[in-house]
Amino acid sequence: MIPAGWFFAVAAILFGLGVTAFFVRRDLPTQFLAVEIMLNAANLAFLALAKPASAAAAQTIVLFIITVAAAEAAVGLAVILVVFRRRKSVRSEDLRILKG
Amino acid sequence: MTLPTAVFPLAVTAFGAIAVLLLDAFGKRDSKTPLAVLSLMILAASAVLAGRLWGRSAFGFGGLMRLDDAAILVSMIVLLAAAFTVLLGWQWNRRLDAAFGEFYGLLLLAAAGLMIMAQTADLLVVFLGLEVFSVSAYGLTGLKRNDDKASEAAVKYFLIGSFAGAFMVFGLAILFGLNESFGITQTAACLGTGLPAQLGFGFLLAGLGFKLALVPFHMWAPDVYEGAPTPIAGFFSIAPKAAGFLVLSRLVAAVPKDVWKGLPIFPFLYAVAAATLIIGNLAALRQKNLKRLLAYSSISHAGTMLIAVLAGDGASLLFYLAVYLFMGLGAFAALTAMSAPGREYVHLDDFAGAGFRYPWIGAIFTVLLLSLAGFPPTGGFLAKFLVFSAGVRAGLVPLVVLGVVTSLIAVAYYLRVIVAMYMRDPAPGVDIEAENPPALLVLFLGLVGVLQLGLFPANILHFIRQAAASIF
Repeated sequence: MIPAGWFFAVAAILFGLGVTAFFVRRDLPTQFLAVEIMLNAANLAFLALAKPASAAAAQTIVLFIITVAAAEAAVGLAVILVVFRRRKSVRSEDLRILKG
Repeated sequence: MTLPTAVFPLAVTAFGAIAVLLLDAFGKRDSKTPLAVLSLMILAASAVLAGRLWGRSAFGFGGLMRLDDAAILVSMIVLLAAAFTVLLGWQWNRRLDAAFGEFYGLLLLAAAGLMIMAQTADLLVVFLGLEVFSVSAYGLTGLKRNDDKASEAAVKYFLIGSFAGAFMVFGLAILFGLNESFGITQTAACLGTGLPAQLGFGFLLAGLGFKLALVPFHMWAPDVYEGAPTPIAGFFSIAPKAAGFLVLSRLVAAVPKDVWKGLPIFPFLYAVAAATLIIGNLAALRQKNLKRLLAYSSISHAGTMLIAVLAGDGASLLFYLAVYLFMGLGAFAALTAMSAPGREYVHLDDFAGAGFRYPWIGAIFTVLLLSLAGFPPTGGFLAKFLVFSAGVRAGLVPLVVLGVVTSLIAVAYYLRVIVAMYMRDPAPGVDIEAENPPALLVLFLGLVGVLQLGLFPANILHFIRQAAASIF
């Protein structure tokens, strides 16, 4: 059996990749995907780090987090769509009306 | 079977929110006034149900919901902020082409999320409450969907907010792996155990810091305040702070006093407080848009509240939040009143001469700005005084000195608004529609609150001390 530590290593790498992608990529849907990867990395970390006694609790928590992520995705994609309709662009550097 | 009374205040707000959303979707009426009235009734019912539990520390859902006095007080602040926001939006929404029923439904849902945060001692529930608030908040920010500023603010808020949320979940995963529990007490107990715990806690604090707009996690706040509907910006300036700072002070209160100052988290929070005070106030100096100015002002006030958290003094924190409810939302009420059909006046130049043209708005706004700046005899002065003296008692003298110095800097930008209102010639082209009784009511209540808390604080301080004693 693969030790749980390796799963956590994967989760940490995924999380790091998500953070990197969030800062490197310049279009809104991809940045949003990066956040989703970070959330899923956190889910994996939950499962990897849970001790046997609390494994059931960890799995329940993951279901909660997936639900939250789905709600966020619904609102977030709607918001991105509104921006796209108005400007015909989803590049994040085009978002610069607000500054000061 | 006993009734789960601890859940009632939250249930009324949450189910009320859903009812308002459904009524809006399936109701046949165009007028949004019934929804506003219904929302006010829901908020009042929730506040009454919460108030009846004062002093009894009720529990619900197997102890996950914990309605102690501090939670009740913060819930009251959130509910009152939501009620003020409903009043502010009443006319403003119609004038500014944002008369959507979702305004009320999402606002109630956001308030419910913040109540969840305040009414628990479990970090997973804190996260769920935070997300209920956040998801509603993204929608509220982008409510004016035909407005470029609003949609830009919403997308920025959404991206940065969900990024911060992911950090928080990862931090929770690490902490859960360490002690198999989300209880604030158990989590705080494992803080001294080594690097993983510190790392998890740091991630958690980063997530909370985003929501509280603490430097360096504050970049979104001015943009969101500028793009969001003005009443909603007022709600954002106080309500999430009340819930978030209660969570933070519960965490700090659960760490044993002798361990607390030795933790690496302590200098980290110390630096965050210092940076928040400095950057919030310095950036506010350059702002010409009053919504952005108030955004930076609320960032700097969050820095002062963080001093109270670091000092471990719940009473001065709760008092500061109570005062900020009136002066912060009151200031946004003044901005809301300065609107006409199709446009709002939020630039500093628009306020030139406003003190003479609109004497009531000008006079009350002046008092509120003086309170934000911390002049006696307003509540803002007493709140700052209590926080700073708690800081000195806890040995945070350098931070308190910084707080005092930055408060002096802050006087400059608040006074600039007052000077514009009374010492400059009226701006041409500014023609507000003064007929806005609900917003003027909020403005007046803000004035009453600020003076009441400044001049006769004894009664309220009695309640606040009782609430602070129950934080842990």
